[in-house]
Amino acid sequence: MSIEIDILKSIATAMGKLKDSGRIKELVGKAVSQGIPAVKIVESGLRRGLDLVGQKYEAGEYFLSELLFAGLMMNDALEILKPYLKLEKTEKKGTIVLGTVRGDIHDIGKNVFKMLAQAAGFDVHDLEVDVEPDAFVNKLKETSAEILGMSALLTTTRGEMKIVMDKLNETGMRDNVRVLLGGNAVTKRFAEEIGADAAALDAVEGVKICREWMGK
Amino acid sequence: MTPRERIKATIHFRKPDILPWYEEITPETLIRWIKEGLPIEKLTLVELLIYFDGLLLLNDPTVKGFDPYSYFGFDNLWGCAIPIDMGPIPRFKRRVISENDRYTELLTDTGTVARRLKKAAYLWYNMPMWVGFPVKDRESWEDYKKRLNPNDPRRYPKDWDKDVYLEFYENYQGSNTIFAVTGFYGFGAQLMGIPTFNLMFYKDPELIHDMAEHWEFFTKETIREAIETLKDRIDMIFWWEDMAYKHGPCISPKLYREFFLPHYTRVTDFLKKNKIDRVMMDSDGNINPLLDLIIEAGITGLWPLEVNSSMDAVAIRKKYGEKLFLAGNLDKGELAKGGEAMRKEVDSKVPILKETSGYLPGMDHIVPAEFTLKKFKEYSEYIKKHLPY
Repeated sequence: MSIEIDILKSIATAMGKLKDSGRIKELVGKAVSQGIPAVKIVESGLRRGLDLVGQKYEAGEYFLSELLFAGLMMNDALEILKPYLKLEKTEKKGTIVLGTVRGDIHDIGKNVFKMLAQAAGFDVHDLEVDVEPDAFVNKLKETSAEILGMSALLTTTRGEMKIVMDKLNETGMRDNVRVLLGGNAVTKRFAEEIGADAAALDAVEGVKICREWMGK
Repeated sequence: MTPRERIKATIHFRKPDILPWYEEITPETLIRWIKEGLPIEKLTLVELLIYFDGLLLLNDPTVKGFDPYSYFGFDNLWGCAIPIDMGPIPRFKRRVISENDRYTELLTDTGTVARRLKKAAYLWYNMPMWVGFPVKDRESWEDYKKRLNPNDPRRYPKDWDKDVYLEFYENYQGSNTIFAVTGFYGFGAQLMGIPTFNLMFYKDPELIHDMAEHWEFFTKETIREAIETLKDRIDMIFWWEDMAYKHGPCISPKLYREFFLPHYTRVTDFLKKNKIDRVMMDSDGNINPLLDLIIEAGITGLWPLEVNSSMDAVAIRKKYGEKLFLAGNLDKGELAKGGEAMRKEVDSKVPILKETSGYLPGMDHIVPAEFTLKKFKEYSEYIKKHLPY
């Protein structure tokens, strides 16, 4: 048991300290060879490491480069674990429908959020950019997602978010979905004005909010 | 005082007779205002022009377009610009790569692929989505580097002649003169895209070191002759960077110190040796965590200081004093509301910063296309009352 704890701790620490990707892969390989279940490696090793990255980001020690590199390390590690994860029962944290609103084709922040949300265990359906209001609604129906994430860079396009909110109300779906807004044009006040549940200042805060909503 | 003298005094923390007011207006905002009654005949500008591409004849009167500066009474920092080509040579051949009902994808002359919406409310304002970049790895960087040869004779205008240019500036320079330089973050992000460039600091740091090394060499050697010739005429370096977003900088202070600082210091030292000590960095977003390092790098001014990104000119002045002159920082959202909200925003900053000089009041970025002419006129009349000393 102590070897297992040590390896998982090493994975979390290496991820948190952004050791090179090769080191993470080596540790994950070692964990697999020790018979540690893949789900446990993800939950108690990699995601714990990602939490450390998130904490350092919030503390102003890590910035965008560090988030992106942590995401890359996570993906490399998950590649190794993929065959094992297929055999084990994995629990999704929740489902998110995501996209940049109609008329807006900016996606950097949205993509960072997507990467972190997936790494945190969410199932993310990314509709990409310039998304029609009906496309958000249809995807929510299709996936029964608990969360809708909308992004807008421009103040000229954030009005689209209100159109989507109206559609959710018209179709009676509003009570079944939490709405999270993000992007440069969005403020917490704007989210309140249009009746969204929250606005995130950045991708890390966005994932934190989603985790709180799902109680995980 | 002339407009140039006012700007020079202000950015050197001396008090001018009237504080210069700095705004930039997009063509789309102007078009909106013309529809709202802005008189075209009062804005048409015919000018003897020195500008970017070095193609204009020096004494050729040119219909420049619209001149909102004199109409509204704000100052033009870009009165003269030095016409040196800092782009890739040869340029990529611009062409449409693909299009459908909704988008057009274009190869730009710097080698990026831009996707543009065909129907957007504001085409200029709605920046394109960058979907392809010329530098992806070491090999493509080595290839691109060949286009960044500082000694290519095409970097200077065909009519470049030190004495003629000196004489021209002596006779015709009425306004502030800017030399525009792209900082290393702006340079790298343009070539690789923000996500890839940021990732490479960890994935391939040697590549980033090499790019930074070449950026320094390319910048210094390209500008050398123009700087050494026109050093007495250049009032300010405009250092485009855009290295932050709402939460904070894209680059950590640790990475900035390792990859940026040594190169920046050498470039700004070269400028200082030529008596150019005013370098204004243009970066959107929250750059607070980098300010100590930015100062160490030799940057001496900041614009636009976006309020929704937690930039606060009064706090920066209090902390850094005369180490940084400041421009912008009036919350465009509050100004656009007009009335009490607008007056409160102006009153909360302009009188305080005016006391110390070193401040060019203006919006915390380009005047957005949502700003109505009526509200801008109201703001214009109000802020002008604050400017005289």
